[in-house]
Amino acid sequence: MNFICNFPFFSILLSLFSGTICSVLPAKAAKVVNRVVIIVIGLMSAVLLLYLLSTGESFIYWMGHFPAPWGNEIRAGVLEAGMALFFCIIMYLSMAGGAHKLPGEVVESKHNLYYILVNLLLSSLLALVYTNDMFTAYVFVEINTISACGLIMIRQVGRTIEAAVRYMIMSLLGSGLLLFGLCIMYDLTGHLLMSNIKESVGLLIANGEYQIPLIVSVALMCIGLCIKSALFPFHAWLPDAYGYSTVSSAAILSSLVSKGYIFLLIKIIYRVIGFDIFNSTRIIDVLFVFGLMGMIFGSLSAIKENDIRRMIAFSSVAQIGYIYMGFGMGTQAGMVASIFHILSHAATKSLLFIAAIGLTDVSGGSHKFIDLTGAAYRNKWAGAAFTVGSLSMVGIPLFSGFISKLLFAQAAVQVEGKMLASLIVLGISTVLNAVYFMKTVIRIYAYAPDAPYKGITFRDMKAYAVVLVCFILLNVILGVSSQPIVDMIGQGLAMFA
Amino acid sequence: MYLILSSILFPILAGLFLLVRYRTPLSGEKPVDRQSLTAMAGCSLIITAIFVIAALFAEKGFTLFYLAQSLPIYFRVDSVGRIFSLLAVIVIPCAGFFSFEYMKHEEHESRYYGFYLLVFGVFNALCFAGNLITFYLFFELLTMSSMPLVLHNGSKEAVMAGLKYLFYSLCGAYAALFGIYFLYRNCGSLTFTVVDGALRASAITEHGGFLLVVAFVMLLGFGVKAGMFPMHAWLPTAHPVAPAPASAVLSAVIVKAGVLATIRVLGMFGTDFLKGTWVQTAWLCLTLVTVFMGSLLAYREPVLKKRLAYSTVSQLSYILFGLAVMNDTSFTGSLLHVLAHGFIKAALFLCAGAIIYRTGKTRVEEMRGIGKEMPVTMWCFTIASLGLIGIPPTGGFISKWFLALGSLNSGIPVFDVLGPVILLVSALLTAGYLLPLSIHGFFPGADYDYGSLQKREPCKLMTMPISILTFLSVLIGVFPFLIIVVIYLAATGR
Repeated sequence: MNFICNFPFFSILLSLFSGTICSVLPAKAAKVVNRVVIIVIGLMSAVLLLYLLSTGESFIYWMGHFPAPWGNEIRAGVLEAGMALFFCIIMYLSMAGGAHKLPGEVVESKHNLYYILVNLLLSSLLALVYTNDMFTAYVFVEINTISACGLIMIRQVGRTIEAAVRYMIMSLLGSGLLLFGLCIMYDLTGHLLMSNIKESVGLLIANGEYQIPLIVSVALMCIGLCIKSALFPFHAWLPDAYGYSTVSSAAILSSLVSKGYIFLLIKIIYRVIGFDIFNSTRIIDVLFVFGLMGMIFGSLSAIKENDIRRMIAFSSVAQIGYIYMGFGMGTQAGMVASIFHILSHAATKSLLFIAAIGLTDVSGGSHKFIDLTGAAYRNKWAGAAFTVGSLSMVGIPLFSGFISKLLFAQAAVQVEGKMLASLIVLGISTVLNAVYFMKTVIRIYAYAPDAPYKGITFRDMKAYAVVLVCFILLNVILGVSSQPIVDMIGQGLAMFA
Repeated sequence: MYLILSSILFPILAGLFLLVRYRTPLSGEKPVDRQSLTAMAGCSLIITAIFVIAALFAEKGFTLFYLAQSLPIYFRVDSVGRIFSLLAVIVIPCAGFFSFEYMKHEEHESRYYGFYLLVFGVFNALCFAGNLITFYLFFELLTMSSMPLVLHNGSKEAVMAGLKYLFYSLCGAYAALFGIYFLYRNCGSLTFTVVDGALRASAITEHGGFLLVVAFVMLLGFGVKAGMFPMHAWLPTAHPVAPAPASAVLSAVIVKAGVLATIRVLGMFGTDFLKGTWVQTAWLCLTLVTVFMGSLLAYREPVLKKRLAYSTVSQLSYILFGLAVMNDTSFTGSLLHVLAHGFIKAALFLCAGAIIYRTGKTRVEEMRGIGKEMPVTMWCFTIASLGLIGIPPTGGFISKWFLALGSLNSGIPVFDVLGPVILLVSALLTAGYLLPLSIHGFFPGADYDYGSLQKREPCKLMTMPISILTFLSVLIGVFPFLIIVVIYLAATGR
């Protein structure tokens, strides 16, 4: 076995152990460790991705060298490695972009706790991406929940505690349902490894046995993960959790944590149940409808919002809706569009959160729109970045949002029954997105000469400005040269089967 | 290739440079150096104009890059594009020079010139776009870059107007995008053709009915930009709140993007596919309703700039009517009217701007005796008005002549006669809403206090662009043949 095949295992363990090490390090050192670990894992994922692209085959890695069905397994294909790489990039940029705010948001003594949580979060995300074992997935789902809760609560101001409790309850409900589903599945098939379950499920379906328990189990798992990734009717925890936590947390939670669960769902669909079997159930119709509703109601809530962070948070609900709509189409093209949207939304939403903080900082720390008037003149970089993010969200060509919209529409055109609904809701949602994002852009570029706040120049925020530029570039790259990425996604999905 | 690219990129980069370099200062910072700003903007306009004129003679198309698989960003200069960019390259610099004087009494000049140049570049790109996806890209960017011109003065009314403009345009653009998805499936490629259509023959036989719906949605969607009923409401709100030279560009040039889009859509579907279908009938109805309604609303409107905006609604549907008739004669009329209306409406808006700049008067009834105070401006206004009404030998006459002729020869039941009748009625209304201004302007009546008259003629920087545009509007009426040849080439697809 090639040495590179160890990389997924290394990445998970590295982030897990660096989290532990952080607890005894001083805050400064913990920060360095955290950054270095993210970079190292990113590099390893990049190497792994190149290796997988060159071999063109996925591989399965036995943990502890016990063969299936007893041992624990890790599996890496193009999609997994690409996702890990992308998560690392976003994670690094989000951490770097929010770093200058951290001293004001979190008390000094808890800084290394913060880095522990971030490292744990990263390791759980990586485990969700790489694992080939349902129970491991469940364990890391819980680790993910705990660390995410910590990340919300670590900024101890009033509403974050409420937000964290709410997040905890909803999240545990989600993981509980996932666990139920898992138990039923284990009962039916006798396996926990994904590939083995898939075989047994195939047999069950072929023999026509246990149809209803099977569907119930799949539905429970889906709903559990939907709750955790804030699909529309289960999104109540989201605005507070994203709106009041620290900047980096908000960016990471919105762009990565929910995406980790969605990715797990994709793995379950492909690797556990089988794409065709999943599509033959009615579950995809439910996901489709919830997705469409999320696209509209998320945007409507965002329009009503008077707080820029909460507005961006609500827009996440709409974007998650897009992703589930893609699942609901039940075609390969829809899936590719959804996965592309995972990338595009992660890149855009973290950009928006990071840019918004630059705007609120030069507006006396207020999140209210009235105080943000003219903020883009006081912080030019954040203003430009927010504009780019907004244009991408609205779906203007050249930015990543347009490509995902295009992919969704192309996928929709191929599905007879769902075509009109998807296209119409896509249209409505585009216009609604434009309503609140362009309103904000106009607001921050409105001229307010008598605003009592001071501007900030490039010299005072070099690191922050560089992060914003990186984000903008990431967005434009996704928007302009999407084809290789789309091809890679297709290749990765082909490896899933 | 480099000429086309530089005619697009140069103004965009120059605009961005102005936006960054001369941004509105915060309190306590040095004010913007107005002279160097206008010098920069003026030079950029002239250089861009030279690039565009040179690019008009470019023959070969080229692909810049691929947005996604089989979605190239492709540029090519064709005859239709030439006509629209000819319009832009005359009107935008003229109005630009006018604004050097006019913008003295407005704030945030750098923002204005920055976006003005952006609009110029994006419109050039729109003219030179060689396929539907490139066109759509710049269509969206045109909305985005022209919106700041609408909400320029930052008042609540202007911001609301800007948002209204944005939402209508986005709705329209999305409806069009909706159609593009289907065309993408049913066409061999999205590259523009002019007459024969790009639909696969199998697609027409299989989903012909559905494709008609798609065509109608696309025409409606792009029609939003051209202010076609029922989605015209943004135009009379958005155009008048902009600074006058910006209104001129919006009304004379930017709305023509909707017309260009319509021509492109017709080319994609092919006129043979649409002729005689319900789409054509519905479209003819909508355009005629808009022609009549726009004129009527303009007739009732007391504020001069709003009156001109309503008139734009009406006149643009003349053009769309000509396209909807779908024969060569009416197509020629439409394209002639694109030029004629562009020059005339720009001149009219600039006159209105000059009046506002010198006297601050915005309502028509306040403008009695204005011709005695600003004779050059009002003479130009009168000549341009005659052009819009369609009195020979102005450009408006020739274009309307072709429109009426095309309609009468088309053989479409009812509409072949109804069209010209409505065009005539609307021309009478046009006379009704424009000429009183000149009449009362030059002949204020016996009870007028002649003692209060002052000499208020604006400086050359303002009168020259107006005169040039007026002169051109007459010129294309006197010597239409050269343009007709180009247009004929466009109509037949060369």
